[in-house]
Amino acid sequence: MIKFEQVSKTYPGGQNALSKVSFHVEQGEMAFLTGHSGAGKSTLLKLISIMERPTVGDVLINGHNLNNITRKQIAYIRRDIGMIFQSHQLLMDKSVFDNVSLPLVIEGHTRKTIAKRVDAALEMVGLKDKARNLPITLSGGEQQRVGIARAVVNRPPLLLADEPTGNLDPKLSMEIIRLFEDFNQAGVSVFIATHDLGLIARMKYRTLTLKNGRMITDGLSQAEEDLLL
Amino acid sequence: MSILFKGRKQGASIDKVGPFQRLVMFFTDHLRQAVNSLGELYRTPFASLMTVGVLGFSLTLPGTLYILVKNTEQISEQWQQASEISLFLNDSVSEANAQQLVTRLSVWDEIASVTYISPEEALEEFKALSGLGDAIEYLNENPLPAVVLVVPTSKHATPTAAAILLDKLRQEREVEMGKLDIEWLERLYALLDIAKELVFLLAVLLFFAVVLIIGNTIRLNILNRRDEILVMKLVGATDAFIQRPFLYTGFWFGLLGGVIAWVTVSAILWWIGWSLEDFMALYQVKFDITGLDAKALGIMLLLSIGLGLLGSMLSVKRHVKEIEPE
Repeated sequence: MIKFEQVSKTYPGGQNALSKVSFHVEQGEMAFLTGHSGAGKSTLLKLISIMERPTVGDVLINGHNLNNITRKQIAYIRRDIGMIFQSHQLLMDKSVFDNVSLPLVIEGHTRKTIAKRVDAALEMVGLKDKARNLPITLSGGEQQRVGIARAVVNRPPLLLADEPTGNLDPKLSMEIIRLFEDFNQAGVSVFIATHDLGLIARMKYRTLTLKNGRMITDGLSQAEEDLLL
Repeated sequence: MSILFKGRKQGASIDKVGPFQRLVMFFTDHLRQAVNSLGELYRTPFASLMTVGVLGFSLTLPGTLYILVKNTEQISEQWQQASEISLFLNDSVSEANAQQLVTRLSVWDEIASVTYISPEEALEEFKALSGLGDAIEYLNENPLPAVVLVVPTSKHATPTAAAILLDKLRQEREVEMGKLDIEWLERLYALLDIAKELVFLLAVLLFFAVVLIIGNTIRLNILNRRDEILVMKLVGATDAFIQRPFLYTGFWFGLLGGVIAWVTVSAILWWIGWSLEDFMALYQVKFDITGLDAKALGIMLLLSIGLGLLGSMLSVKRHVKEIEPE
């Protein structure tokens, strides 16, 4: 699903964010990306959502090399990737319904489909009764769930999350992760960047670790790696 | 259809809607966005009014001038048709002789009407028109000759026929000099051409300014909604989708500005119409300002909308692209 091949990213000014990173997250897999802040987690996610382009190397999604994607096509690529952010990225002056429906409006669905799908997405994250509220009136955990509903409302095959539990207490964090597990069980590939090592430790998912822009472990045993590569 | 995932459907193709319904959806979507953009303007009434006002008043000046020039042209066309021949009589001709000439000429086939203007009458008219007034009182004697105004019939009013008639009239012994009033018309036309050119130049400059002003206003709108644009880009909005509301804003600026311009031009023309009527009455010409009809309104609105759209287009092309998620 997500494949990095010898990817390096150097920002203008010479800062080396990623050096020769290679890994492969399979379709239908749920994996964590971890590392201390500044290790390159965000950069790696940005390369997947084409907010940044690699300096060297190839990023492939479902076998398609993102280097071949033109600027105009980026919008369509992002419709295939549900993205969740630590800062939620919600529109604070729009209702929860309007926020969640945004990807569907952009794709040009009928009102009927939009209403149906937004309802379903809000139901999944347990916020069905808050559709008319403004995000500002919701708690941090609820806001994050609105963000998740928006990410899954158009049923993308791939979910990316950047520190989705960043501002939440352990109990709420676990609830969010359970949500991701639900989507994963429905066949969605999930890739979560987090520095919350305690959270990861409680679970048995594959964990990729970055340190100073290098991938020090991709969470596979040597034997598994041999099988994959 | 998705680029990355073959067979994954996107957009209305999932909704099982037919092509006709999709067309209807397209128009309702645009209508909704247009109304939304109008709503945005309504929410910031003061700023919107200022922009619309700038647009409207910038169009008012060239609009008014254009219509005045156009009307002057129409009047002069009337004059050309009536092309009048002035016969200046010998000083020695008495008033009685002059009246005899008038009687003789009035039976000519080529002539529609003959008017005698005595030197005294000519002086009075000159006083009224020239504005010299009292200064003329100081003249010891009237320097103006008696004049016979000959208006040819419409058949003989064309420049060539009138010239032949003039030659014939010059044969009359009372006539010292005959003049076909065409030269001043040519001069008027030359002046009108210059005026038209100036109006055009002025219009181009003002239009340019309008485009810049609209562009800048839209730029501020875009920057104000930077966060929203970022989020839309993150969830897969194309530039075209993001640009649309701003283009509609430009459209509304244009439309409303055009209406303001039309109203102001009408008001100005109505106002100066009074003094123009008095002025034109001196020339025995009826002057009704025309040109502010449905066609003029249409042109003005189209032009204004065009400028609004152009300004916003230049702005969105540049600034929507610049806002990228980081």
